[in-house]
Amino acid sequence: MINATIARITARGLFGRRRFLLLLPLPLLLVGLAVLARALGAPPAAVAKFVIVNLGFAAVLPVISLIVGTGVLGSEIDDGTLVHVLAKPLPRREIIVSKLAVAVVATAVTVGVPMFVGGLVAGSARLGIGLAVGCVVGAFAYSGLFLALSLLTRRPVLLGLLYVLLWEGLLGKLLGGTRVLSIQQYVTALAARVGDTDLFAGQVSVSVSVVMAIVFTVGGTLLAIDRLRSFSVAGETS
Amino acid sequence: MPSGVIHDIGYQRYTGPRLGRGYASRSLYLHGLRTAFGLGRSAKAKIFPWATAGLAVVVATVLTAIRAQAGRPLVSYADFPSMIALLTTLFCAAAAPELVSRDLRGGVLPLYFSRPLRRSDYALAKLGALVTAVWLMLAGPLVLMLVGGVFSVHGAGAVGKEIVHFLPGLAQAAFYAAVYGSLSLLVASLAGRRAVAAAVVVAVFIVTTPIVGVIAVIGGPTAQKLAFLASPTTVVQGVGTWLFGVAGPEVRPYGPVYGLAMVVLLAACLLLLLARYRRVAR
Repeated sequence: MINATIARITARGLFGRRRFLLLLPLPLLLVGLAVLARALGAPPAAVAKFVIVNLGFAAVLPVISLIVGTGVLGSEIDDGTLVHVLAKPLPRREIIVSKLAVAVVATAVTVGVPMFVGGLVAGSARLGIGLAVGCVVGAFAYSGLFLALSLLTRRPVLLGLLYVLLWEGLLGKLLGGTRVLSIQQYVTALAARVGDTDLFAGQVSVSVSVVMAIVFTVGGTLLAIDRLRSFSVAGETS
Repeated sequence: MPSGVIHDIGYQRYTGPRLGRGYASRSLYLHGLRTAFGLGRSAKAKIFPWATAGLAVVVATVLTAIRAQAGRPLVSYADFPSMIALLTTLFCAAAAPELVSRDLRGGVLPLYFSRPLRRSDYALAKLGALVTAVWLMLAGPLVLMLVGGVFSVHGAGAVGKEIVHFLPGLAQAAFYAAVYGSLSLLVASLAGRRAVAAAVVVAVFIVTTPIVGVIAVIGGPTAQKLAFLASPTTVVQGVGTWLFGVAGPEVRPYGPVYGLAMVVLLAACLLLLLARYRRVAR
């Protein structure tokens, strides 16, 4: 299912030259702030609320997922180099699955590791593992969504930002019903369950979270494969 | 024996008026302003700026309607820009990369700089265009609210009072436009890809907000009042609280510190932007 060459090219496109520097500041900020807050005597609940939930789950995870998830395919569409990949005798699902795998691994590592450290600092190793698991699940769901988005529209990042800021951020606070379609809530619920903590809690049940995370991942992947099957190469217009 | 001859085939020098640097700057500014709203571009380029600006108008309409029902304003004019700060962020995320990242990616900067236009002129024209665009995006709904307000009060004195309340709103909108515009243009000028630039612009605004919370928790009473300096969003709010009594963070007696912080932030963005365009080759 995963083509090693496609995966390698994609990873090089993500991390090549100085581009990995772009992904570095946010995780460093996360770890630095958690360590600093604990060192200056902030209670674990405050670290959990501001650093882990408000910064980690609400900002760092979605933003990194967005940059990576739309970057793996979107940058090739922008460059027009996708044509060279499409011209090879490869099944389209292999292209999508390879790119999705790279996106998931890159996101899970760049966010999961600092979140694990943050959990370790704020509470226990158990909490750290819970946060890391949450981030991995989030990486799958977000990557599936944003990968599909980068094939549905030419402006995937702006639409993704609308989803993260308006849907998850604003509507998630105002209208409770929208939380069922908010990946951030699945991540929070799963992390709280696995981490066995009461420092924060998800607003949706764990079973719903698992099912919906799978729906987002598989649905996004299938949609992306379908869109790539009938992908038409068009020049940059706007 | 060579018998080459150079024929005069009628090439002429341009002898008309040369419009010069100021004209080029003005044109770039106007073009940038149109670009920010997608004017003169395809319909796809208009969707996002007009969607965010339209949402702002919807919020203003709802507020005006509520005011007409309740008989008194729910949200003051100066409060409105902080209320829709999220939409301002999204507008900047769409407009700033459109203004600078395309030129970087297309490698057309040498074409600009081979004209009388100087490097700093280019940066200032783009900055002016973005700040004006954000201000218009905020001032439009404010004017709508003013019209609603003027028609819901009675007497010339009340109308005058309404306008006096309206002016701080415009000023607060200008502060938001200056801070959000310069910061997002600076960030976008570092990224050649529009998509990446948009994500990073938003990241700068939403990632700095939780820092405020952390400082407020660990610090003493003084640190709690100065915590809002940690994020550009809350710095503008603090200035609004200091000058116009906007509902928001309690910053007294450190109001002037917020004013100073905003000026320093703007100056730093401007200098870094100019430095960026002094160096950038393409």
